[in-house]
Amino acid sequence: MASHKRAPFHGPSRRDSLQLGLTALLGGGLATALRATDAIEVNRPAVAKACILIWMDGGPTHYETFDPKPDAPAEYRGEFKTVATTTPGVFFSEHMKKLAAQFGKLSVIRSIRHDQGNHGAGNHYMMTGAPPRIPVGCGAFVSFHPSMGSVVSHELGAPPGVPPYFSMSGMARSGGPNFLGESHAPFVVDGDPNNPNFRVRDVQLPSGMVSLRHERRASFRRQIDTYRRDLDKAVADPAVALDQHYNQAADLMQSESAQAAFDLTREPLRVRELYGRNAFGQRALLARRLVEAGVPFITINDGGWDHHSKLFEALNKRLPAWDQTVAALITDLDQRGMLDSTLVIALGEFGRTPQVNKDGGRDHWSNAMSVLWAGGKTPGGQVIGSTDKKGFSAFERVLSPENFASTIYRKLGINPDKLLYSPNGRPNLIVSDPNPIRELMG
Amino acid sequence: MIQAFSPLVWLSLALLVPGAENALPNSSKAPTFERDIQPILTRHGCNAGPCHGKARGQNGFALSLFAYDHDFDHASIFGQARGRRANPESPDESLLLRKAAGSMAHGGGRKLPTDHADYQVLRAWVAAGGPRTPESAPKLSKITVNPERRLLEPKASQPLQVTAHWSDGSTTEVTSLALFSSSESVIAAVDPKGMVKAGPLPGEAAIMARYMDQFAVCPILIPQKSSAKQAKSGWQANNRIDSLVLNKLNELGLEPSGTASDAMFLRRAHLDIIGTLPTPIEVEAFLVDQSTNKRSKLVDTLLTRPEYADFWANKWTDLLRPNPYHVGIKAVMNYDAWIRDQFRQNRPYDQFVRDILTSKGSTFEDGSTVFYRNRREPEELTTMACQLFLGIRLDCAKCHHHPFEVYSQADFFSLAAYFSRIGRKGVGISAPISGGEETILVASSGSVNHPITGKLMQPAPLYGKAPEVAPDADLRESFATWVTSPENLNFSKVMANRVWAELMSRGIVEPVDDLRATNPPTNGPLLDHLAETFRQGGYDIKKLIRHICASHTYALESKPEENNRLDNRNFARHYRQRLRAEVLLDAVSDITGVPETFQGMPPGSRAIQAWTVRFESQFLDAFGRPDPNQDPPCERLGQTTVVQALHLMNSPNLERKISEEKGRAKALADAITTGKKQPDQVVRELYLRAYGRPPLPAETEKCLSQLDSLTKKGLKNREWVEDMMWALLNSPEFVFKD
Repeated sequence: MASHKRAPFHGPSRRDSLQLGLTALLGGGLATALRATDAIEVNRPAVAKACILIWMDGGPTHYETFDPKPDAPAEYRGEFKTVATTTPGVFFSEHMKKLAAQFGKLSVIRSIRHDQGNHGAGNHYMMTGAPPRIPVGCGAFVSFHPSMGSVVSHELGAPPGVPPYFSMSGMARSGGPNFLGESHAPFVVDGDPNNPNFRVRDVQLPSGMVSLRHERRASFRRQIDTYRRDLDKAVADPAVALDQHYNQAADLMQSESAQAAFDLTREPLRVRELYGRNAFGQRALLARRLVEAGVPFITINDGGWDHHSKLFEALNKRLPAWDQTVAALITDLDQRGMLDSTLVIALGEFGRTPQVNKDGGRDHWSNAMSVLWAGGKTPGGQVIGSTDKKGFSAFERVLSPENFASTIYRKLGINPDKLLYSPNGRPNLIVSDPNPIRELMG
Repeated sequence: MIQAFSPLVWLSLALLVPGAENALPNSSKAPTFERDIQPILTRHGCNAGPCHGKARGQNGFALSLFAYDHDFDHASIFGQARGRRANPESPDESLLLRKAAGSMAHGGGRKLPTDHADYQVLRAWVAAGGPRTPESAPKLSKITVNPERRLLEPKASQPLQVTAHWSDGSTTEVTSLALFSSSESVIAAVDPKGMVKAGPLPGEAAIMARYMDQFAVCPILIPQKSSAKQAKSGWQANNRIDSLVLNKLNELGLEPSGTASDAMFLRRAHLDIIGTLPTPIEVEAFLVDQSTNKRSKLVDTLLTRPEYADFWANKWTDLLRPNPYHVGIKAVMNYDAWIRDQFRQNRPYDQFVRDILTSKGSTFEDGSTVFYRNRREPEELTTMACQLFLGIRLDCAKCHHHPFEVYSQADFFSLAAYFSRIGRKGVGISAPISGGEETILVASSGSVNHPITGKLMQPAPLYGKAPEVAPDADLRESFATWVTSPENLNFSKVMANRVWAELMSRGIVEPVDDLRATNPPTNGPLLDHLAETFRQGGYDIKKLIRHICASHTYALESKPEENNRLDNRNFARHYRQRLRAEVLLDAVSDITGVPETFQGMPPGSRAIQAWTVRFESQFLDAFGRPDPNQDPPCERLGQTTVVQALHLMNSPNLERKISEEKGRAKALADAITTGKKQPDQVVRELYLRAYGRPPLPAETEKCLSQLDSLTKKGLKNREWVEDMMWALLNSPEFVFKD
């Protein structure tokens, strides 16, 4: 699958199709003409082919993950101890044992900060690389700019028939395509892949449908299809575009390798155990299989990191399994020789408050956050930037969400300084500050 | 430093052509910034969005986008980089010149070789210490393009000449400093020097030239060679729409397609007017009806159906209805109900708009006030109101003078001043559920200031006249009167264009809400006629729909003729369109006989009735309902995608509907088994439901042969009906509207 030539995923839009006929005949056209004006576009070769974004929805604490403050007073330090990483002098919080042991394969940024301290806005900033245009509330789900997944879908596409941007489960608040349109919306896969009856919706036959009958239906459809097609490209018949999509979909259903990619039961039990027999663990495993199938962007939308109360109790339960899954994903990718071409990134919308509150939790804090970063030839074993002694704020090497997003794009060979045009012709830079985090670039 | 020669004279010698007045008012003076230098920086793209014109500049050198801020730009060139950027003492060492000439590494490449006329002007200007253009100098009043319009043969060329007209009556030839672009570069391309080259295909394009803050448009028409003057037999002009469409087709040498069959017309009208498929009974009745006016009767009947209001309101909710996570659920529901009610009452459009613009009261009681709960700043309200109701995009003008628009920042903020006295009382926005009740009222004070000059802006319309406002009056009343006035042609035009686009798959102007000289309509007289009809009909939307549906143009077939296959904007044929997400889902529910259930809505609700796009629906997402997290106005692209194909093919929900015990497939199969229906009757029923037409004999034959090939006892009928239903739902004839 991975060797398939990538096809542009999107079909012609209504507006495209008006251009399409003539453009197809002659080449060029408005879209090309517009793009040609990107005079200073700097294209760099891609390092990575895919990105697995582990989204810790709610905003994970930096103290109890990758930026412990063992020397701070107890009310800041919290209850957890630290664990030494493989790099002398660098410590993670105590539950990050497995990740600490393979620190050589990953890097941690401790100094991203922004000014959007609520979920709606923080999600938008980190998920799209653009701050929300207007103030938004905490409960908000907003979209003012295409998400990174949608941009990657637009720019890279996927093998024919394969949706280029997966989100499991559910779409992250600001994970939508905005002006890029429905072709670049996340393909949302709900359900618990740890459930024995789990199927990836739509790309596998629905439960109870056998392939023999499916093929009979497909043949029925072919036989009764008398709809007129205007194959002349100038006519820009949308039915012809639908046929292309339909054929890609049909090929996907018939491709054994593609079907295998979606089928978690083909994975040896040992590997399934390694990732952890829980929804998050199996989503991470499915993500790896999707990367193998040629999907360039996968968001694992993992909720429940908004620990305003009883943080230590909750994390005592949750972090060991989380650590195991992420460590397993990195190890597995590495052993398969896929780590160099696959980014693995874990973060949420922001960090959490320095002082443990009266309910034993920490609140929203966008002055500092930690981001885990592995793969895509990212140099390992390094901590980038730091917070101050009590973890209040990004202190050294202060970085922005724009730097973060631009690093992902650069790694995937997408120029963050490129202009994308909304359907009404308004130019939008992919990221307003195209400077990547150089330490991660390798 | 003394100038040995005048660069403008030098320049003009190279450009002077007979016809251009030899009137260069500044010819004896050194070049000055606003008049001579800014056009050069613009012409060569220095201040364009991807280069130094972006907000943060490029490599430390920032210019205002398209030169909208002269002070900033001058300071940027002369006041920064410690004099290295522009050095009058040794101009050749100036970064500005060295980078432009490519003698120093420049991300934008070599823009101006040293022997280029513009380079010489720049150099002379730097050497003279960078003088500004005096306030007293003549101002640019307009530019003109010669020729004003042109008919071209395929592959022919035509040079354009651009003339600047100054306030002192003088003119200058500025072709070499103008920027050119084509609305359809495939039909007619234009090179940077203003040479238009027609492509091999017939069609039309608008060539735009711009110079400083002015532009001019030259329409280019390339008629089809074998000009068909005679309309196809069967063509009849039912109303004025048809003669205007035919005029345009004749001009282009295009021929209209044939007329749609009764069945095609019926399905089209149902889907266009009520967003709902005709039932088998409705199809059969229409096909046997012999009356000559059955098509107009059908349109009249459909316009009275309750689905009309939901379907057309559903289009308007895309444009108006905010994200509940922004303004709260209750307010959104209330707004949605208000919008639907307007369409139920067939409220005259001008009153509908006036109600929104002047709304006062509780956001929990008066739906239209949610417009002001969602958009809170005068700037946001201005851009939204102008785009929706006037088809004028002001997003750009908010920050800079847009090169393709006539409106300036001052125009924008004068208009925004109408929204400066909006008061709000109550809890306001604290989404999602907790957002409290808020009351929109007229405040006694409030003002809008120009963001750069700080000047207090007096409310003023963009063009035309608005009623004077009394000191303590609601400024919005004056604004609404201006917007909805019969003299404000944009108001009726943009709505007429929207309605036309909904019925014809394409606007006369595209995007439908972007009316401006630089985005001309494909058929101006037609748009004028529709707008006039709409105005004279008292802004009655149903009347306008009836007028369009009565035209012969609306009833054209989608099948292209040899002679119009290249047409996709002049309505020589009907353009195919994919059914809208909600319509398609409702159709699937109707055909399978299994209704969909929607979160937060009573059982039996249809997708076109949904008051929000926030509930889960993989189907609606796949077919492109608006991204629930996006702000309105949301535009749907109507694309076809592989996810749509996969979803129709394999979605567990669709499979459930097909195989449901209480569904239609099971009922039809049982009817066969018990002898109540013959298999061919079942074939007929499903064809009528999915395609709105009876099957051809050959189609019935093929379906029946599938039944014969099944051998499994008992389940045979059920499997056959289910398979046929699946095949129909997965076929393009179902998914598209012809």
